[in-house]
Amino acid sequence: MAEERQQGHKWTMIVDLDKCTGCQACVVACHAENNVPSPSEDEIIRGRANHWIRIERYWEGEYPNVKARFLPVFCQQCGNAPCEPVCPVYASYHSVEENLNVQVYNRCVGTRYCGNNCPYRVRIFNFWAPHFDPPLEQQLNPDVTVRGPGVMEKCTFCIQRIRRAREQANVEGRPLEDGEVQPACVQSCPTDALIFGDKWDENSRVAKMIPHERQFKLLEHLGTEPAVYYLKGGETHVGE
Amino acid sequence: MTNFTRRDFLKVGAAGTATAILAGCSQESERWVTLEPYVRAPEEQLAGIPSWYASTCRMCPAGCGIIVRIMNGRAVKIEGNPEHPVNRGKLCARGQAGLQLLYNPDRVTGAARQEERGSRKFKAVAWNEAINTLYEKLSAAGSAIGIWLGSSTSAHLHDLFARYAEAVGAPPPVYYDLYTGLNGYRALLDANAALFGQAALPTYNVARADVIFSFGADFLGTWLSATAYGVEFGQFRDQPYGKRGLLVQFEPKMSVTGAKADRWVPIRPGAEALVAQALLRLIADEGYGGSERAERAARLAGDVDLDEAAAACEMTREELATLARLFAEAQHPLAIPGAALAGTGNGTQAVAVVQLLNIVAGMLSVPGGVQFPPEVPAGLTAPQPSSYAEVQALLERMKAGEVRALLVHGANPVYDLPPEAGVVEALQRVETIVSFNPLVDETAVLADYLLPDRVYLEGWGYTVVQPAFGGMPAVSSQQPVVGPFHDVRSTADVLLTVARGIPAAAAALPWTDEVAFIKERITALPKGAQGGEDAEVRWARFLQHGGWWPETAPGSAPPELAAQGPIGVLPTTYDGDEADYPFYLHLYPSVLLGDGRGASLPWLQSAPDPLTTVAWQTWAEINPVTAEALGLKDGDVVRVASPHGAVEVIVYEFPAIRPDTIAIPVGQGHSDSGRYARERGAHALQLVGAAADEAGANFTWANVRVKITKTERQQALARLESTIDPGPDVHVPF
Repeated sequence: MAEERQQGHKWTMIVDLDKCTGCQACVVACHAENNVPSPSEDEIIRGRANHWIRIERYWEGEYPNVKARFLPVFCQQCGNAPCEPVCPVYASYHSVEENLNVQVYNRCVGTRYCGNNCPYRVRIFNFWAPHFDPPLEQQLNPDVTVRGPGVMEKCTFCIQRIRRAREQANVEGRPLEDGEVQPACVQSCPTDALIFGDKWDENSRVAKMIPHERQFKLLEHLGTEPAVYYLKGGETHVGE
Repeated sequence: MTNFTRRDFLKVGAAGTATAILAGCSQESERWVTLEPYVRAPEEQLAGIPSWYASTCRMCPAGCGIIVRIMNGRAVKIEGNPEHPVNRGKLCARGQAGLQLLYNPDRVTGAARQEERGSRKFKAVAWNEAINTLYEKLSAAGSAIGIWLGSSTSAHLHDLFARYAEAVGAPPPVYYDLYTGLNGYRALLDANAALFGQAALPTYNVARADVIFSFGADFLGTWLSATAYGVEFGQFRDQPYGKRGLLVQFEPKMSVTGAKADRWVPIRPGAEALVAQALLRLIADEGYGGSERAERAARLAGDVDLDEAAAACEMTREELATLARLFAEAQHPLAIPGAALAGTGNGTQAVAVVQLLNIVAGMLSVPGGVQFPPEVPAGLTAPQPSSYAEVQALLERMKAGEVRALLVHGANPVYDLPPEAGVVEALQRVETIVSFNPLVDETAVLADYLLPDRVYLEGWGYTVVQPAFGGMPAVSSQQPVVGPFHDVRSTADVLLTVARGIPAAAAALPWTDEVAFIKERITALPKGAQGGEDAEVRWARFLQHGGWWPETAPGSAPPELAAQGPIGVLPTTYDGDEADYPFYLHLYPSVLLGDGRGASLPWLQSAPDPLTTVAWQTWAEINPVTAEALGLKDGDVVRVASPHGAVEVIVYEFPAIRPDTIAIPVGQGHSDSGRYARERGAHALQLVGAAADEAGANFTWANVRVKITKTERQQALARLESTIDPGPDVHVPF
């Protein structure tokens, strides 16, 4: 069901591929913010690397005219999300207030249907209980749960930061300001390739940037209506 | 109270109730029961409410400002300080991972002694005893000491060590580690000293440049300050009126910067200076860019074989001329000499030749050009990395038995230099070795005493920012954001305590503790952007805002040119004969592990390398054409051998590398440094010799040839990318 403007916020991310250098700052920031365990060498070899945000690298062309392209991929927070209707226990549902796909960890029974149905492969299943060699557990963010075994998890657009900022705004009796909420990845990105905000706030940076001449969405033809807009990389030609 | 009966209890209870009622009638404030917790939390800590403290990142020497999120007394997240002039609120992966240094499971938890070097059997020692021992050793050694510092040593500690060395008549501390080596700090400093008479690290104003020619400078990955250059690169791609700049990257293997370049030129390793000379020659001969630039080029260009230069770039002479014209005709062209140049035998000259391109373009001290560091007031200076010649001098002193006590802080010499440098042999001749490092690294294993310093999140310090971005002089503050996690002591305090007992040093180091020293130095600074009329307020704001910097950057006049003619560059020679060793070796610091100190942190180990997507391992990047010719494929374990040594690494078929070059990242191959680093991958420095370059700035790590032999073994690559061939019909949609 497509989203219509009703209430709350439409949290939106813009990823400027022209600026993404693939530096992994966002990846490590996300691990730190969201208590994502570090995958071991063996788990990566088995294809079980768990990163809520990953930077895909594509090769284009042949040597010497070869180019590498970076594509950061994380939960696209679809407006019409394939993961939601398949969950038998409503662990994966759509937040009306935030317009995000939310995963309720303690509802999840681990059927992994949502992961199967997600075309972006951004949902991660916890095959084992997460382990942090003591005292590394001290680094855990108390705002975010540590997911147990048998539970699906994914990028939340750092909903804990959204909630904290909104509660603060409520206390001060004012609306949320643009830029007040920054997910950990956006906050760390040196080149400003990631831009985050409420698309329904007309004065927000994302609202002003969209529509953009370079914009596209991932697997747009599937009709999932992602809340993530990608801006295609530009070109400057040499000597023509 | 053994005789306290039930009757007594009731009496006391009744009396207490009566008092409470009476008190309730008299004073309002006493009506409420005050609950006293067993443990009283610090005033600024409220459960569930984070507090933020500003400090300075010390995962590399760039001096980015950080703010650390503290929840209930624990540091839980490091973020960039938005006010800071270097990183402007941003922070790289290595900076984010600093938390895992604080909470590392393998940290040295207190002072320890090792009876037998290399035994790894450390016995805990009380700190008083350890400090006494250090005092005895240092006072007996007198001037026969060596001090080896690295890029994680704070500037104040460097200063104190330098004062100590001077007071006892020892040579100044050596500041050298693999980070400064692989980034070519010293070659950059020396080249600028030769050109401008000013040994300084300039910044390149990428944000406002039109055309950038980067000669092996991976400024978005590892070079000098990837975060600060990342911020500039974002602006470079987003300039007014839709201008997005042109970046041409000359390098034998595609780096992160090469991946973002508009044109990637696979240059032959060691040919960078030749190509820069050729560009100068073409600008001079063809008169590109107007008479002024062409005249300057005519004065500075040397003789060069243009065809050879074009061939080194795998392009025609016409294409090279196109590039020269593009550079000369741009309004704000910029040439950046990178780290790979510094590892060749003629590194300092090569850096200088690339710098000549900026001189020809008139891009010194102008927006979009090369900016030289402004002077920091109050005599605060950044410690200058030592040259390799100075390192060799220390090693010679050690080998000659002239060093009775060696103090190591922030560097890991056994790992940081190739085996041929003879660090291990030199250490054996030293009577007492003391390591102040937080982990048992390769050098600490050979030490007699471990006197662990506080890690940067627990300790005091400051960084005089170098290079100074935006021409902004800055001193970045470092304060303890959490209490010490283990029984560790600040090395500066240990040194000050010891110095008090040594007559020669006592007068030179009169401070009671390091905070007194730092405060004295910092309050001498004039009022900066943070304001504050009196010294106490300025000191408080220095800590609160993360440092000192002026409100606006002072302008600087272009430096006087010391070089008036062409710069001769010796031809690059290579270790190893072409017939026996058919491939060039290209070493580069890992984007995530840096010079190897990131290997102890699981967040960095498990994050994939941007271009290969491999984590946890050491691989060799080989062009698919070469791999096919050698019968190699992904996951084959090969033995890469040079005249100096050999390592076993996993083949990764990498399409963006010259077919005659093999690239191996540096950072793995630790024998110690904690459980995440130990016995993992290979240390590529074993392939490199320990000879100094012609200027003595660096050891030559970029002019080695290697050969490859296949082993019988296979090892699956731990990579993130899909290994399923998508077939010819799938196109990348962007």
